[in-house]
Amino acid sequence: MKRILVLLVIFTVTGVASGGFKEKFIEEFVKKPWGAPPSQESVCISCHTSDLMKEEFKEIVRQWRQSWHAKNNISCHDCHGGDPKDEKMAMSEERGFVGVPSYTEVPEFCGKCHAGVLENYYKSGHGMALKNDGTGPNCVICHGSHQIQRATIDIINEKRCSQCHTYERAKIMKQALFSTEKKITDLYDAIERLKKKGIYTEELYKEVFRTEADFRLLFHEVNVSLIKESTDDFLKRLSKIEEKTARLFSELRFRQNFSAFIMLLLAGLGIVIFLISKRGP
Amino acid sequence: MWKGIVEWLEVRIGLKDFLREQFTEYRVPPDINIFYTLGIVAFFAYIIQAVTGFFLLLYYIPHSEHAFQSVQHIMTEVPYGWLIRLMHVVGSNLMVAVVFLHLISVFIMNSYKKPRELTWVVGGLLLLTTLTFCLSGYLLPWSQLSFWATTIVTNLPTAFPYLGDWLAYLLKGSEQVSGTTLNRFFALHVAFLPPILVTLFGLHLFLVRRIGISRPPFSKNYPPPSSWTQYRHEEYPEGIPFYPSFFIKEMYMVVLYMVIMFFVITFMPTLFLPEEASIPADPYTTPLHIKPEWYFLAPYQMLKLIPNKFLGISIQLVLLFIFLFWPFFDTSDERDIRKRPLLLTVFFLTIGVWIILTIWGKYS
Ligand code: HEM
Repeated sequence: MKRILVLLVIFTVTGVASGGFKEKFIEEFVKKPWGAPPSQESVCISCHTSDLMKEEFKEIVRQWRQSWHAKNNISCHDCHGGDPKDEKMAMSEERGFVGVPSYTEVPEFCGKCHAGVLENYYKSGHGMALKNDGTGPNCVICHGSHQIQRATIDIINEKRCSQCHTYERAKIMKQALFSTEKKITDLYDAIERLKKKGIYTEELYKEVFRTEADFRLLFHEVNVSLIKESTDDFLKRLSKIEEKTARLFSELRFRQNFSAFIMLLLAGLGIVIFLISKRGP
Repeated sequence: MWKGIVEWLEVRIGLKDFLREQFTEYRVPPDINIFYTLGIVAFFAYIIQAVTGFFLLLYYIPHSEHAFQSVQHIMTEVPYGWLIRLMHVVGSNLMVAVVFLHLISVFIMNSYKKPRELTWVVGGLLLLTTLTFCLSGYLLPWSQLSFWATTIVTNLPTAFPYLGDWLAYLLKGSEQVSGTTLNRFFALHVAFLPPILVTLFGLHLFLVRRIGISRPPFSKNYPPPSSWTQYRHEEYPEGIPFYPSFFIKEMYMVVLYMVIMFFVITFMPTLFLPEEASIPADPYTTPLHIKPEWYFLAPYQMLKLIPNKFLGISIQLVLLFIFLFWPFFDTSDERDIRKRPLLLTVFFLTIGVWIILTIWGKYS
């Protein structure tokens, strides 16, 4: 017994004494959230949030942090180029830095990623006007820039559209989009609920997302008759996904009823055994 | 037919005698209480894990590229696969709870005292094996939850100088949790640990039967503590027959265990499967709220609170050592915990601190 205690004391004391030796570990263990991968903050962000920066430039990072791009890990250099790892070369043209695009350059700037949208946009009245005399709205007019959010049908509204033309035609457009848009939102809701119930929804989500993307692509031509023609197709595609979610919901109900049934059976068995045990041998 | 089989066996192995000796004539203490059934419930919980585990194994693929999909396949395509998996998942948590309760009850009744020290030590090893089972099983679905919880836990040994890095590497088979880790944990979970558990359980049960079940120390006519100088089997001629009287109580508790399991499956199917459990593992995205399982929360929080990690892990190892060999630390003859205020304080303090740390760990 005594020997054990002595051993314990030796163990603890040596432990404490050599405890400082693992600085590297402490660094990783205490200062970082547990298990976080070694992530390096972009130098664009660290500089643009520092006190050296003008308030208006700091605001850019604040806005971006709220954006849909940020949520999807699209960072400064993905659009503006440059080197986010090298402070000195961060804004060097050598490393592909492009800075701020001019008004008419904006579609090409966004179109680096949104290529399909770009193509359809140039077919639209908006795009043609921009190309011809630089008057049409570019991407940013409707979507905003750094604080960009996930696109919804509400981007089309009287205040925005009537800056350039009457709202009438835009309204017809919005109405044509409405049924498809509603179905898409409902599906995302359903998927979210399924996910909360422990169902793996990534495939379903991708399916809706792909349909939504095709739909948005088409929309950028801003052609009401085209939208009307293809709405049926989109609704059909979405209905197929809807059937899948409905099946999953009814499967979940079945599971609950089934296990409730087994639970009641077992409870009955328990009561019987309890009564037998009370009766005694 | 049935009679024929029994006769056939009777002639060869003396079945009736054996059953009489082991069941109807075997007597347990007259004042035995319901907490003495928890050991059997724990044993039964293991059987459920083994059976459901076997069925999961029919469809599970232990490879980092297929593991997640194969589990989702079990959940959605395999007929009643969801039920088997939920029984296994919920069961693993309930099982730990039952083992904890069993431990608490033998502690309160001081059943670990001479001559039952070994039973306690083997029980302690059973608990550690159980927790290793849980730890290794947690990684297998290869979800965000399993990946990051395992990253946290396999980081723990690195707090230990020299040996720690080596140990962590041995566990993971690579610097980070990876496909190799998955294979190691899979091998642990389905091949290495089961025979260890079965052996330990056999030993535990052998000790319980060989020594005889302890008498609860609370009754009025409990004999005064006597010194134990020579082996004897603790007999209870005035006790109640194990079969059917006590056996039926055990069966009742086993059914109660199953009812609780199905209650959870019916009304709280995602209790142990939060959202991250249905997202495939992604080493490049750390989820925000990953915590170890509830039974590891207290030690986890304790480690977080002690600024020097090596000190933290040393203290935990010392505590573990004290726990495993507790009967050799507590050598008094008195078994009635009500007459031992110091022990009672230690008990409530430990439970209280454990609960506080668990809650703290959960919400910090
Ligand atoms: C891991 C799974 C375990 C199983 C399946 C198990 C099973 C059992 C069974 C069937 C009994 C006999 C009946 C009873 O008293 O409940 C028993 C007794 C006992 N167990 Fe366990 N046990 C486990 C874990 C533990 C642990 C963690 C401890 C303590 C560290 C422990 C300590 C004891 C002691 C001291 C007894 C003797 C009780 C007496 O004779 O009154 N066991 N166990």
